[in-house]
Amino acid sequence: MSWIEPVAALCPPLVAAALAATGAAKLFAGRRLPARAAGTALPRLVGGPRRAAGVLRATGAAELALACWLLAGPGRAAAGVATALLGVGFLGYLTVARVAAPGSSCGCAANDRAPISWRAFVRAGAVTLAGAGAALATTPWWTAVAHHRVAAGAALALGVAPLCRRPAGRALGRLRGRLFGSPPAAPARAGGPVPFAASVELLERSRAWETAAPLIRSGLLDHWEEDGWRILHYAGARPDPDRGGERPVSVVFALDATADLDRPLGQAIRIGVVDRETDRVLTGELLTGEPPDG
Amino acid sequence: MVSPTSRPDTAPPRRLGRRGFLGSAALGGATIVGASSLGALDADAAFAARGPALDPAVTGVFVAGRIGAVRGTLLYVAGGSGATHHVRLTNATSVWKARPTTADAVEVGDGLYARGVPMPDGSVAADAVWVNIVNLRTEIRGLRRSRIHLVHHHRELVGHTGPETAARYAGGALTPDLGRLRIGQRAQVLGAWRPGDGSVDVIRVTVGH
Amino acid sequence: MTRATDALWAGESTWFCCGPSWGPCGSAGGGACGDCRADGNHAAWPHLSESCWELTRPDLCGEHDLPRRGCGSVLTVSHQCTAAAVTVTISDCGPRTHEFCGEGVCCDGVCLTNRVLDLTPAAFAAIGSLDSGVLPVVITE
Repeated sequence: MSWIEPVAALCPPLVAAALAATGAAKLFAGRRLPARAAGTALPRLVGGPRRAAGVLRATGAAELALACWLLAGPGRAAAGVATALLGVGFLGYLTVARVAAPGSSCGCAANDRAPISWRAFVRAGAVTLAGAGAALATTPWWTAVAHHRVAAGAALALGVAPLCRRPAGRALGRLRGRLFGSPPAAPARAGGPVPFAASVELLERSRAWETAAPLIRSGLLDHWEEDGWRILHYAGARPDPDRGGERPVSVVFALDATADLDRPLGQAIRIGVVDRETDRVLTGELLTGEPPDG
Repeated sequence: MVSPTSRPDTAPPRRLGRRGFLGSAALGGATIVGASSLGALDADAAFAARGPALDPAVTGVFVAGRIGAVRGTLLYVAGGSGATHHVRLTNATSVWKARPTTADAVEVGDGLYARGVPMPDGSVAADAVWVNIVNLRTEIRGLRRSRIHLVHHHRELVGHTGPETAARYAGGALTPDLGRLRIGQRAQVLGAWRPGDGSVDVIRVTVGH
Repeated sequence: MTRATDALWAGESTWFCCGPSWGPCGSAGGGACGDCRADGNHAAWPHLSESCWELTRPDLCGEHDLPRRGCGSVLTVSHQCTAAAVTVTISDCGPRTHEFCGEGVCCDGVCLTNRVLDLTPAAFAAIGSLDSGVLPVVITE
């Protein structure tokens, strides 16, 4: 049929774009990769989190290499076959993962914590079909694109849009934090607001907590929300060089109320230290080593 | 990166409540960039800016037992070995009882863990107390709208869920979504025991793959 | 997951109840070694004995070489993020590492994976907050 050949010819750039995006997400995830790998079934399947991160990284490299091969031209049919085999491999992995670790995440784009769903199977199936299409195409993809520009553009946008949605949202969130300083009153995310315990958890894994930990003595004394910030109040002590011993202080943190470990948003946590007896603010003196004014 | 964004010893406006003053101290204080599991953005700068070294944050003694009497801010705690400990609460003591709360929530019959420093009179001035807190290895046997039926040490246990209950799936962030819990899963349940009926208010439930 | 060369091991630590206690913990008992107490600085280790290993199975999570340490062994446990430390005595078998395979706790860009230690409330509270439930720890001897 006349429509099959153009569709098959458009498969290489389409699947190459998708593979390049997911491959780069895995390969360049940096320090995030071990944490993401830990959420997948891979540690159980390959014998440990280190190997799991290695497998994710290798998969990312393979995806990027295939993307280049599909676009480069020579041996397009073989590239299509390899892509179809990769898609079949993905389908097999997803099936085994669902059985071995039912709550595990896919790891497909290295940034998704949700359990494996039908969407992951659809994506893997699409890669398989697109690979088969690329293998069967007789017209070079650039010729097909030149002849069907609108269709090619629409197909590319449809293929890549789902991959760009979450990174774009995070980038916007970071930009928002840097421009306006305070988080906006964002609507509650799907599934409800960030639990208060998730904010405490984000704080306790933060550099802000590391920095202030030597001062803190109590558990959480009080917490409240203020203009989109979640304020957490702890009691602590600081050395008193004048009288010897220690003086009581309050250590107060402000976090974005919509951030958690999976969505740290701007990654900025504000901190204040106050003398509990005099209400003198000591933040600069205690945390940056600067002498107090006056 | 630690960057002071206000004068450090600004006088507190008296008209603001305590929360307002402390909130403004935090928001006008230092911003520390580089947090979370994603790794520090400016790790070296933040470490270089660490404050003067203090003694380790946690020193002193630990008390475990059940509260036999409450006299003002003094708790009489019967320890497991039969000894009675005197635990004193101050305005700098954090109190956890299913959530951060105040000393008013502490009742006779509650179980208690307290961390603090010994005082000359033999009492313990508490830095932090946790009331009725439990952290149990369980198996999920049933799921209802506001309850999770659990088994712990071969005994059935009812876990009450509420708006503050959070779940963690396979190492992810805490989420209010309990819909992914499954019967038969092993679950770590952090919660608050109810002495009246032996059930538990579930604060956090963690499941693996 | 092992970390520094001078560390015996590193990973996650939770807390558990043992000894005379209240509520659901009342049935905990003194642990595999018989002397575990909630108000003592004690710990449970996954490789206390061969029979213990069969219960905890850290190898299923890639923790193949977790060394064997018996009752009474002394370990120093440090919080990965704050360096707060406590010295503990091994008094029980646990945690069931394989039930939470791959779970990780990260700070300072370093992720420590798998539950490799259980601390008593006293020991856990010495380096963190009981309501946190889980901490990243580095274990030395």
